[in-house]
Amino acid sequence: MTSPPPNVAVQVRDLRKSYTVHEKDPGFVGSVKSFFNRKSHEVGAVKGVSFDLAPGEVVGFLGPNGAGKTTTLKMLSGLLHPTGGTARVAGFEPRKRETPFLKQITLVMGQKQQLIWDLPALDSFLVNQAIYEIPEAQYRATMREFTEVLGLEGILKKQVRKLSLGERMKCELAAALLHRPRVLFLDEPTIGLDVNMQESVRAFVRDYNQRFEATVILTSHYMADVTALARRILVIDAGVLVFDGDLASLAEQSSGGKTVRLQLRQPISLAELSRYGFDAKVDGLSAELSVPRSEVSARAARLLADLDVADLTVEDPPIEAVMAELFGAGKEKAVAEGVG
Amino acid sequence: MTRYLRLIRIFTGATISAQLEYRANFLGAVLASLGEVGVALLGIAVLFGQPGTVSVGGYSFHQALLVVGFFMLTEGFISVFVQPNMSKIAEAVRTGSMDFTLLKPIDAQFNVSTRNLNVLRVTDILIGLGLIFYAASFLTVTLGGVLAAAVMYLSALVIVYCIWLALSTTAFWFVKTQNMSELFNGVFGAGRFPVTAFPVPVRAFLTFVVPIAFITTVPAQALTGGLSTLLALASPLVAAVLFVGSRLFWKKAVGSYTSASS
Repeated sequence: MTSPPPNVAVQVRDLRKSYTVHEKDPGFVGSVKSFFNRKSHEVGAVKGVSFDLAPGEVVGFLGPNGAGKTTTLKMLSGLLHPTGGTARVAGFEPRKRETPFLKQITLVMGQKQQLIWDLPALDSFLVNQAIYEIPEAQYRATMREFTEVLGLEGILKKQVRKLSLGERMKCELAAALLHRPRVLFLDEPTIGLDVNMQESVRAFVRDYNQRFEATVILTSHYMADVTALARRILVIDAGVLVFDGDLASLAEQSSGGKTVRLQLRQPISLAELSRYGFDAKVDGLSAELSVPRSEVSARAARLLADLDVADLTVEDPPIEAVMAELFGAGKEKAVAEGVG
Repeated sequence: MTRYLRLIRIFTGATISAQLEYRANFLGAVLASLGEVGVALLGIAVLFGQPGTVSVGGYSFHQALLVVGFFMLTEGFISVFVQPNMSKIAEAVRTGSMDFTLLKPIDAQFNVSTRNLNVLRVTDILIGLGLIFYAASFLTVTLGGVLAAAVMYLSALVIVYCIWLALSTTAFWFVKTQNMSELFNGVFGAGRFPVTAFPVPVRAFLTFVVPIAFITTVPAQALTGGLSTLLALASPLVAAVLFVGSRLFWKKAVGSYTSASS
């Protein structure tokens, strides 16, 4: 067993997981049949994923539902045993779930909760303080920081069942990070939250990452979470890593080119605008269209010369559009950086 | 060790605070306890109420009452300490919160076994102890008998815990296991009566297949000095074997756990 160099927080090599899935025909007869004779087959959820993360790195883990994101996170936290390949997290083999390992990691799942439902969050914090053997002075200091950054003042003494979803999620995060883990697995931490709450969760994660140089793997359905927090993106589709690189080069993957936004002084017809690019849209004096990446400057120059333009901006397409294209068009189009 | 005692103190504080949230529940719990003891007493009242009946299965009325006392005490132990925790195992597997339990740096079996108490059912324990003291006051009890009964009953509690743990652990595969605790309660109901009151095949079944005899009859026999050496040795042995066996079963279950999908 080779231990990873000290500048690697997470090392994943050819990680695999397959499940045995039971099949059941629909309806009552199907249920009876399956009760007596279960048909099952193997399904690969993660099919050979490899990557390294440096300490303090924040990566966004993206992919459609069922792509294998949660399965990968569960293998890295030690909840699931890999069917093949290896994972090292903070120098440990996650599947063994050794105490020193568990004290250095945390798993936050937006759809599951660990807080005691009938008690104020503060009671759950005390339970975690005891479980993780957090010294009193450190507990107080951490609580002070978290209360300030998350704005927990006034909600810590309310029963968890009486908190709003957003307030509860803040408390969940605090409970999960109380022991100051070095590696954070955040699975949809902002799901269902309103925009303000999402923003404060992001701010908290960013603050924690900087303060403790913690390594963060984040999955989310909200692209804003990922673009706000992560410089590096891993995209997984059907159990295979299809992209590993920074946000900007993910946008490069898009064949849709760049988006040009125009403010015009005189109205223009859609047909006329369409001569300069594709996917043109006109709304009064505002207009936008897409142009091929390689011809951005030439097309912009023509637009400025031909039309009465008040303002012109060139943007990368929204990451949502890139993702939709990536997954819609199939993975063969997405040539991954550094991945087979 | 001190760490785990400290954890028990913290867990107990939290679970009691949680229950104080629901005060109306208290009345219901007291009524449930009274109902339990009523049914148990009715059982032996019917047996001994027959004209001319002075003993059942070699047990006098007060000896039989002693068995009822141990039955109630055990009911109380289950209601207060065992069932509130074990019933949560299936729930935690179904909702996926077992994930958090398994990622805590403490023994997961300890964690799931000590997190909850149903303090409201402490009345069962008090009624059980009351019945034991009352019945014992009519019987000759030696110091040796008390010590033997203490050891036998401690083994009994371990046996009860292990059976519940093993039944609840099946939740890792079957997810829904409410019928498992019904199964236990159904069979355990036989513990109200001295096992000697049953025909020999049933007695053998309740001793060797499901060790109900060790839970109520054996401690009662030990207290009154009527315990055979064989059973006295068997009881702690059965407890030890079940403890190791249920622990291995738990480990195996956790090992094959594939948590509920997100």
